[in-house]
Amino acid sequence: MSDRRLPRLLQSPAVVLLLVWMLIPLGMTLYFSFIRYVLNNLRRPEWTTPSLSNWRGLGNYEFVWGNKDFLLAIQNSLLIVCSILFLTVILGILIAVLINKAFAGRGIVRVLLISPFFVMPAVNAVLWINMILDPVLGLQGLAVAGINELIDGLRTMPLLGGFFNLWPELTPISFRATQTSAYAVIIMVTWQWTPFAVLIFMTSLQSEDQQQKEAAILDGAGAWNQFRFLTLPHLARPIAIVVMIQAIFHLSLYAEIEIVSRGNGNKNLPYLIGEFANNNIGAASATGIYAVILANIVAIFLLRMIGKTLME
Amino acid sequence: MGRIQLENVTKSFGETQVIPPLNLTIEDGEFAVFVGPSGCGKSTLLRLIAGLEDTTSGNISIDGEDMTQVSPSKRGLAMVFQTYALYPHMTVRKNIAFPMRMAGLSDAEQEKRIMAAAESLNLVDYLDRKPAQLSGGQRQRVAIGRAIVRDPKAFLFDEPLSNLDAALRVGMRIEITEMHARMGTTMIYVTHDQVEAMTMADKIVVLQAGVIEQVGSPLDLYRNPRNLFVAGFIGSPKMNLIEGSEATKHNATTIGIRPEHIDVVPDSGTWSGKVGVAEHLGSDTFFHVHETGLTETLTVRAVGDVALKHGDTIHLSPRLEELHRFDAQGMRLS
Ligand SMILES: Nc1ncnc2c1ncn2[C@@H]1O[C@H](COP(=O)(O)OP(=O)(O)OP(=O)(O)O)[C@@H](O)[C@H]1O
Ligand SMILES: [Mg+2]
Repeated sequence: MSDRRLPRLLQSPAVVLLLVWMLIPLGMTLYFSFIRYVLNNLRRPEWTTPSLSNWRGLGNYEFVWGNKDFLLAIQNSLLIVCSILFLTVILGILIAVLINKAFAGRGIVRVLLISPFFVMPAVNAVLWINMILDPVLGLQGLAVAGINELIDGLRTMPLLGGFFNLWPELTPISFRATQTSAYAVIIMVTWQWTPFAVLIFMTSLQSEDQQQKEAAILDGAGAWNQFRFLTLPHLARPIAIVVMIQAIFHLSLYAEIEIVSRGNGNKNLPYLIGEFANNNIGAASATGIYAVILANIVAIFLLRMIGKTLME
Repeated sequence: MGRIQLENVTKSFGETQVIPPLNLTIEDGEFAVFVGPSGCGKSTLLRLIAGLEDTTSGNISIDGEDMTQVSPSKRGLAMVFQTYALYPHMTVRKNIAFPMRMAGLSDAEQEKRIMAAAESLNLVDYLDRKPAQLSGGQRQRVAIGRAIVRDPKAFLFDEPLSNLDAALRVGMRIEITEMHARMGTTMIYVTHDQVEAMTMADKIVVLQAGVIEQVGSPLDLYRNPRNLFVAGFIGSPKMNLIEGSEATKHNATTIGIRPEHIDVVPDSGTWSGKVGVAEHLGSDTFFHVHETGLTETLTVRAVGDVALKHGDTIHLSPRLEELHRFDAQGMRLS
């Protein structure tokens, strides 16, 4: 046996398992996306069993493309994923840099910071939409009502009362509405995933070389320049990891969308797949393939961008 | 310009005082070397001068200007670190340019200084590489390049050669010494290697536990060590220190004699003993002599190859004019 064969042989079970694991679902999705396959059709019962004789070519793809919700779903998927990525990375870096300095109670603060990550997504969505963002009963409603009351009280003040009379009455935002439900999803997922970013950035910051910092101080770099030219490049790889992992997770958001608005004006690709899958498996599969393509484009684009801007 | 003056400088970390009150002046253009055993406060002293540590009390002035409270970047000093501290994601060119970029120099001026530094340090072919793609010696040269382009009042080196192998160390030692001769800028160089100290310094500062034991030129320290610590620290191999009746004969508590100041004689020398290990280097031979009745081991250097083996009896005669005498406190008696 040549010296290469044995290692390959030993690796093969893992490789085969992985291939089976990935290729079978992907292959079946591809297959279903090219045939007519529905769960229930009284007029054409032959479509209810997958078979090559029901070949539809690119028909499913055209059907999905023509669906009125499809472009909206792509747009929404991108909006939600990119906003969450942007916010979690920025917040994650800020918080990680802040708590990297020694202060009293740092251990407890760190544990508290991580805790949102352990909340289940569905629970997270229910808590946010009902207890915090609800325009009447949630914290938002209470806060807006409180501020309005306060301003109302100030209006009767002598002298300054006229100034407060100019202020409008605040109205709470309904986050279940068509236009705003995506923002509710972004807010709640950002809250949940910022700890993940903080955790990764924090570990990376602790491995930063202190002598490089001292050299930079002597070279005349202030706090901002040290951050810009040393810390950020040092964080480039962790940022890439955070972006990749989150992009994968958030492209498949489902529970939050379902709980916030039942997809009302706020569908993303997984939600659309879910709707198609009620009956039309072929269309659902085609949407799934679109989602895979979109995920790849997003990943490549994001990684390029990070590499270019941070690594100089 | 670059006259550095420390007045009553102290440094404490919490409760422990690492540097007791210390006074030291380094003249403009001088090559000063801080030596001492590990943990004696050499790095701390250098970092105090650089401004990377705050003094607990006392004053540091550069060219007569009080710099104690001035931020590190405004002191006009450049430092080269033991671990090089290069910026890993920047090319050599960008590393060298970094201090100039921070100072806001024009691109043309930056390029001019980069090329000048790269040429003098043999780095021209490596300008577009990242630090990870360089050897240890090349990295150290980049770190020096980054210091040179700032045109500092003084260079501070913290054990810059200790991560290099022996051959490279000798080469870099000579390069740095030549650089000093060429530029004439003040340099402060920290090392625990007394050979580096002896070969490079105009002025050696011997430190022990934060206290300056002696300041002087290399030969000054070699010829007139002020106390037992300096006597034992400077010179290689170490000076032989002898106590007891032999010392009393010379009216001292301890006498010291360097290995190179003891002659091997055919017979009837002042001292005699049995050869232990004999190190034959060709040019010299070092004998470790036992059973002399003086100390456990007496080190002797003989010029050339002397044919004495393990176990042979050796006769020795110290040159009395080279004898150092110390009192009970370990201070030199003149
Ligand atoms: N940040 C610090 N906090 C507490 N003690 C410190 C700190 N830095 C240094 N020390 C102590 O100060 C003393 C001097 O340290 P320093 O690093 O100056 O030694 P050194 O002479 O450079 O030794 P070496 O040759 O090993 O580099 C040591 O006892 C060390 O433990
Ligand atoms: Mg040190």
